[in-house]
Amino acid sequence: MGAFLIKDIMLLLRDRYELMILLAMPFLLIAILGFSLRGIFSGDLEALEMDLALVAEDNEAQGIEAVQSSIDEMNLPPENAQALKRAAESASPHAMLLSLLNSEGIRDLVAIEQMGREQAEESLEAQRVDAVVILPEGFTQSALNNMLLGASGGAELELLAADGSSSKSEVLASILEEFVRNVNFESSISRLSGAGDPVEISGGIETITAQEPITSFQYYTVGMAVMFVLFVGSAVARQANLEQRQMVFERIRLSNRPPLLYLSSKAIAAASIVLVQLLLLFGLSMLLFQTFEADSGTFWLGIALISIVLAFSVGCLAAFMVALTLKVESDAVPAIFSAGVISLMAFVGGSFVPLDGMPESIRAIGNWTPNGAALSAYFSWMLDPDIRQLTGPLSRICLVGLVFLAAALAIFPRKGGAA
Amino acid sequence: MLETDKLTKKFKDTVAVNNVSLELKKGESVGLLGPNGAGKSTAIAMISTLLKPSSGDVRLHGKSVLKEPGDMRRVLGVVPQKIALYEELSAYENLKFFGRLYGLSGNKLEQRIDYVLDLVGLADRKKELVKHYSGGMQRRVNLAAAMMHEPEVLIMDEPTVGIDPQSRNHLLETIRRLNHEEGMTVLYTSHYMEEVEKLCDRVYIMDHGKVIAEGTKEELKAILSDQETVWIEFDQSYPELFKKLSEIEGVQHTDAEERSLKLIIPKGMRLLASLFHEAERHGAQVTNVHVQTPTLEDVFLRLTGRTLRD
Repeated sequence: MGAFLIKDIMLLLRDRYELMILLAMPFLLIAILGFSLRGIFSGDLEALEMDLALVAEDNEAQGIEAVQSSIDEMNLPPENAQALKRAAESASPHAMLLSLLNSEGIRDLVAIEQMGREQAEESLEAQRVDAVVILPEGFTQSALNNMLLGASGGAELELLAADGSSSKSEVLASILEEFVRNVNFESSISRLSGAGDPVEISGGIETITAQEPITSFQYYTVGMAVMFVLFVGSAVARQANLEQRQMVFERIRLSNRPPLLYLSSKAIAAASIVLVQLLLLFGLSMLLFQTFEADSGTFWLGIALISIVLAFSVGCLAAFMVALTLKVESDAVPAIFSAGVISLMAFVGGSFVPLDGMPESIRAIGNWTPNGAALSAYFSWMLDPDIRQLTGPLSRICLVGLVFLAAALAIFPRKGGAA
Repeated sequence: MLETDKLTKKFKDTVAVNNVSLELKKGESVGLLGPNGAGKSTAIAMISTLLKPSSGDVRLHGKSVLKEPGDMRRVLGVVPQKIALYEELSAYENLKFFGRLYGLSGNKLEQRIDYVLDLVGLADRKKELVKHYSGGMQRRVNLAAAMMHEPEVLIMDEPTVGIDPQSRNHLLETIRRLNHEEGMTVLYTSHYMEEVEKLCDRVYIMDHGKVIAEGTKEELKAILSDQETVWIEFDQSYPELFKKLSEIEGVQHTDAEERSLKLIIPKGMRLLASLFHEAERHGAQVTNVHVQTPTLEDVFLRLTGRTLRD
């Protein structure tokens, strides 16, 4: 087995064409796609910087006063009425929104300018601002009524966004939706608990996504890595075809080694090459593009686990391709696989673009490709390092690998006898 | 030691090898002579246990090897017609890989590599990649790889195809030494008559998948004991004259080249008078005439009506 492995790895290291395909190409694509498409990934915050017009049609003071009057009319015990009035002053949703937009993490992205509605709409049309947030008349009163007195309805905000700024406006809409939901939700808690002071509402990017977002470099490092490991399968099959054509395979058969030793050595060589390939791609991407933070041992353990499972699956895929190549005695198998099948698998697996907008059927197929399942596993781990999240994708990768292995064993020509 | 019994291989409607029975005694050097497409390589593949016969048997020391080829493969060194080596590895790396496949390791492996490299005269260039070798050098490493496990029988399938005369001589001399000095049994296939004549004690002649003659070189040449080969050279090519000469009564076979003509005639036949008469009629000048003893090429020509190069 050792002889086969050493030989296969030496041959690969001396094959500049294969090395270029396996290492240089993915790295080049990571660089190109990482830089050029960083705007579409939420993790690239600089791409989300925006100018925001804030239109306050609401009169905060009047709203608070109106709520306090309502409290007076409710004939509550004086202490409770006093506590609610204080709460109305301190928990003004208008002030909380301004506080949220000026909070750390958001103020770097959003430049706010207060203006009238007409001016704001003109600015939006002239693209001087990216979005307009309108606090409608009665916003404070509605929110406080809901929050403190249990009135129906609740706070609502209006958002106007410019054309062509969908990613920015989506992020802003998420922030505002979360804010409004928090205001209405916390008001319910406040009422149910009967507390005098409403719970303080906080907001920010963290409350929207709950995780560190994926950057374009992270996306394409993983996307290209899981795509280009598939080329190892065709490289190993191409080598097997060369061995067959040059009769080296016959010489190996004459050495009387068990035929399955040859097949298993090909699978192990492929898996080893995949591990080295992933190590180099992730390592170089981290060093040159600061794609990953290197300080978490747990993080890298998870990445290593996914990589090992992926390497196993690609090893099985390589065994299948070797068996098929030897069976049909042609290099058409690796040629077709590398020219077409890999691109298809990469597409449905999400290596080029996220599959969020794709039809469910494509996403389902992609989840059952080794690269698609691995992509999903890597991202799950990067967003939330919880081992339970890996169970599904890793099981799928293993299962697909075992299917390839079974197919390889079924078609591999066992020429232990005279033929 | 090694024998085949009515070995036959059919590919759909084509019978590539038809009832071929061969025998190799220990230490013997046997030639398998025949033109391209005669079925030699197919026969070799079956004897080497790489191809399953349609019928017939291959036996080593009287025991069939078809179902259990292990014993055969252990004693067999096969030099295929193609260069069965990794071009991107050096000669040393190739030999190390194949040696390890045969279970060699450590000092024994290194010693064996040194021995076979010395045998084929490439010890001083062992670190160069095979792809940078000449065709002749590649063929020598091809032989060395087959020798790594100290085989008792060496089977060679056209090992000198496409190489320069110097490498060819080196290779033939190496094989001769292995057979004469180390007692290695050799089965040598070729369509080069002179190689088989030089190396082999006994010869099987194959054509169209069948063995058409067998015996020692002398026995085969005795087929032509009642005949002579006359070699005539002219100042230039005379196709019509060549045709006329081949039609002379008694001429059994002819083989024309550009400016020469080979005729096989009955011993004692008076040819020269007719030859010079016809030459004068065609305005041709005869530059050389010699009568030679029969070669295996002549035997083949007699048996098949074709030359080995056809």
